[in-house]
Amino acid sequence: MTTDRDAEYDHLAPLLAEYAALAEDDPRRERLRDQLVTGYLPVAQHIARRFNHRGEPLDDLVQVATVGLINAVDRYQPDRGSDFFSFAVPTISGEVRRHFRDQGWSMRVPRRLKDLHVSINAVVSEMSQGLGRAPRPSEIAARLDVPVSEVLEGLEAAQAYRSSSLDEMLSSEEGGATLGELLGEADAALVQVEYQQALKPLLAELPQRERTIVMLRFFGNMTQTQIADRVGISQMHVSRLLAQTLVKLRQRLDSG
Amino acid sequence: MSVAHPDPAVVELRLSARAALIPTVRTVASDLAGRADFDLDAISDLRMAVDEACTTLVRMTTEDDALTCVFTVDEDSIGVAVSTRPAALGAKVNTDSFGWRVLQTLTDEVSVIGADGVEPTTVGIALVKRSGVAS
Repeated sequence: MTTDRDAEYDHLAPLLAEYAALAEDDPRRERLRDQLVTGYLPVAQHIARRFNHRGEPLDDLVQVATVGLINAVDRYQPDRGSDFFSFAVPTISGEVRRHFRDQGWSMRVPRRLKDLHVSINAVVSEMSQGLGRAPRPSEIAARLDVPVSEVLEGLEAAQAYRSSSLDEMLSSEEGGATLGELLGEADAALVQVEYQQALKPLLAELPQRERTIVMLRFFGNMTQTQIADRVGISQMHVSRLLAQTLVKLRQRLDSG
Repeated sequence: MSVAHPDPAVVELRLSARAALIPTVRTVASDLAGRADFDLDAISDLRMAVDEACTTLVRMTTEDDALTCVFTVDEDSIGVAVSTRPAALGAKVNTDSFGWRVLQTLTDEVSVIGADGVEPTTVGIALVKRSGVAS
């Protein structure tokens, strides 16, 4: 691997050895552990980012990856001969994967389908960029080398997946300005409809991301895939948020 | 559908006009679209459009009436006609609403059934969604 990376973490290696050699109840453990976790934190953050855009907030993923890192620091045994990275990376990734399997499902879905859902979600955005549109089930099946019937099952399972946090922030940093321009067009389209008086206050009550998605889809003439790209979340996440928000708006429009 | 057949396949659902049954119709819609190999955006759009159409109509009728949904699955499009008997005879679907905007955005074609007053005992919504590549 790159010597840059090794150099960046070189100073931590002796600390790892020291930490592993300390007795369970040694008072120095805690401080050393903090130092190690802080030192290797970029590794956990890097792994968390690899799992971003799959429907879970990045903050949560970083937290879960950090738990994985702590486990790795605790369990690593330098005398076994392998270097820390080859032990820590799978430990941290495993923790994040487990999070995806166990969290975020509103009903019991077999593990096979959860894994499939994660695999599908992982290739959809990449395929969309290549195709310039959302992929079809047959295309996803070919890409993952599984039967179409399994992709259909996995997509159906996706309907049981709840978006985890409504106040999750917009995770696209660079899209901000463009998003504003796009919303400008959508705002102009909204002004032209007769029911805007009733709709506007309800839209204003929505969390920013939901409002953005609804505006771009119904007044900004963008597809779910285009919105997913702009807002920085997955197409399936956009789909779920849109469906949920429509239900909310419908109820409020009725009662109002 | 993937099975080459010159005639469109028809799936008809007849259910009590109750909100609790709409998820069933929604699931049928996305299942048909998935099997017809619509792209993911089109599958999701159709699912939401069917939800919107059914919800609109369930609110215009009574629980004892029936909601009929006819899916016509063609090679590259799915047509859905949802209809019921309005609680108030001659009632029309409001096309100047956010709900109608939603339907227009999510589908390639949408129209009102029974709008002309010729058949005051039927109210409905007909929509067409294409598989996605062209639109």
